[in-house]
Amino acid sequence: MVGVIRRFNQLKALVRIRTGPGAAVLPQDVTRIHMEFAHRMNDGHMGPRKFWRDALPRLKYWNPAVPMVVNRTTDNNGPATLTLYFREPGATLASDMPMPSSSNEGFAKAPAPAQGERVVTIDMKHRRSEAILKEFMDKSGAVAVKPTPQDELELREAEEREARGAIDRERIRKMYEEAKRERAMIAQAQSEAAAIRASL
Amino acid sequence: MASLNQCLASLARLSLSTPGRPIITPAIPKFLIPSATAPLVRHASGGGGMRKRPAKKKKTYKTYKCWDLSEVEQFSLCDALRYLRAFEVGRPPAVVKYELAVKIRTQKSGPVIRNRIRLPFPVKTDTRIGVICPEDSPLMIEAQQLGAVAVGQESLFESIRAGQIPFNKLICHVDSLEALRKAGLGRILGPKGLMPSTKTKTITSDLKATVQELIGADEYRERDGVVRMAVGQLGFTPQMLSDNIKSFMELLKQDISNADENHPKALDEVVLSSTNGPGFSLNGSFHPTDPKLKPEHLQSVM
Repeated sequence: MVGVIRRFNQLKALVRIRTGPGAAVLPQDVTRIHMEFAHRMNDGHMGPRKFWRDALPRLKYWNPAVPMVVNRTTDNNGPATLTLYFREPGATLASDMPMPSSSNEGFAKAPAPAQGERVVTIDMKHRRSEAILKEFMDKSGAVAVKPTPQDELELREAEEREARGAIDRERIRKMYEEAKRERAMIAQAQSEAAAIRASL
Repeated sequence: MASLNQCLASLARLSLSTPGRPIITPAIPKFLIPSATAPLVRHASGGGGMRKRPAKKKKTYKTYKCWDLSEVEQFSLCDALRYLRAFEVGRPPAVVKYELAVKIRTQKSGPVIRNRIRLPFPVKTDTRIGVICPEDSPLMIEAQQLGAVAVGQESLFESIRAGQIPFNKLICHVDSLEALRKAGLGRILGPKGLMPSTKTKTITSDLKATVQELIGADEYRERDGVVRMAVGQLGFTPQMLSDNIKSFMELLKQDISNADENHPKALDEVVLSSTNGPGFSLNGSFHPTDPKLKPEHLQSVM
């Protein structure tokens, strides 16, 4: 089982999900979000992937009820789009709209908007994730969540812990390298000695 | 031998040097003088000099280490799910699994917990069963009707030896037990965990009951004081997951209370994680702490 302390530290770092780029509450009329991009980064698919990795978990945390579906394809020439579905003012939508679940193989194409729904698309190709997030915030009308003082404290603690961790990792790496170097030297000396003995 | 005698003689001379006479301080450093390093007093043991201390013995524990959990934050099921779903956003829901790891206070030696459970909502449905039973018997037809993918005795042994193993569960009828023993397939089947045995309840006289138990039944066992088990798919609702966890924990608690007297066991911690998420220690409650969050919110399409 993963050690208690390591798990504890990972849970302490959950503040990274609650705050940061993408931590925002969507307005009530956003019904669902769909993303489509390729697995590999060539031809401008890096930004979308970063958006999915960095911003989407935070959005999901703050809007757990909004379906967020990602369709990853193998076609790098294909589009990289983010589709936002809005409820038209006054319209009531069925609770079970047909929505494919996320796919690794490009099966989850963006569905056509239902009756009483409108669609806004964002082209993500050849753009950095920050730019995509900015456009997303503008077009969706999402309100960013401000970190509470408690969150800020935890964030500072997480940073300190990581800085300490980096120092410790460096120390341990040096130690291991030293031991490895010594082992290599001994092995070399032994092999040389064996060669001399063999030649005598 | 002569050299040793000479050496001893020189040592004796050094030790006999009369006090009171001025000692000329030698030009060579003190540690190079033989008398400074070589011991003048010889013990009966004859080891002479620094005796090697035995390496410090590492303390061994009879039980697995359990930590003080008072500092550890524990979560209700819905709170944990909210985070896990955020970590798993955009992943195919059939691939991602929720996993439960149950830490048990137990000794390192002794019997381990091992059992099978049929969850209310099965996590995996790809069980393929092979049946060993006498060929051309009514049992063979029965097994085929029950949905076994490979049935037979000698023909099945042959295909196993040839490396063709189309099943991931293997059961053996009592009538074929002798043939199975003679076939000597333990080397092939043992490492795969497929070898039928009474311990795993895969040697049976009632094929129907066993096959039905195996289909949709998951095995769990204690390894290093932890029982791990997949309890749900990402697409499950919180209620479904809760039902699965509850039925699993009920059976596990029974197993724990049935443990051997000399090897007592106790429940220590229940941790829920997902394929790509961190582990959340559960506190046993279901409802979210955030009043704005409802369990229904956690069942949208992923």
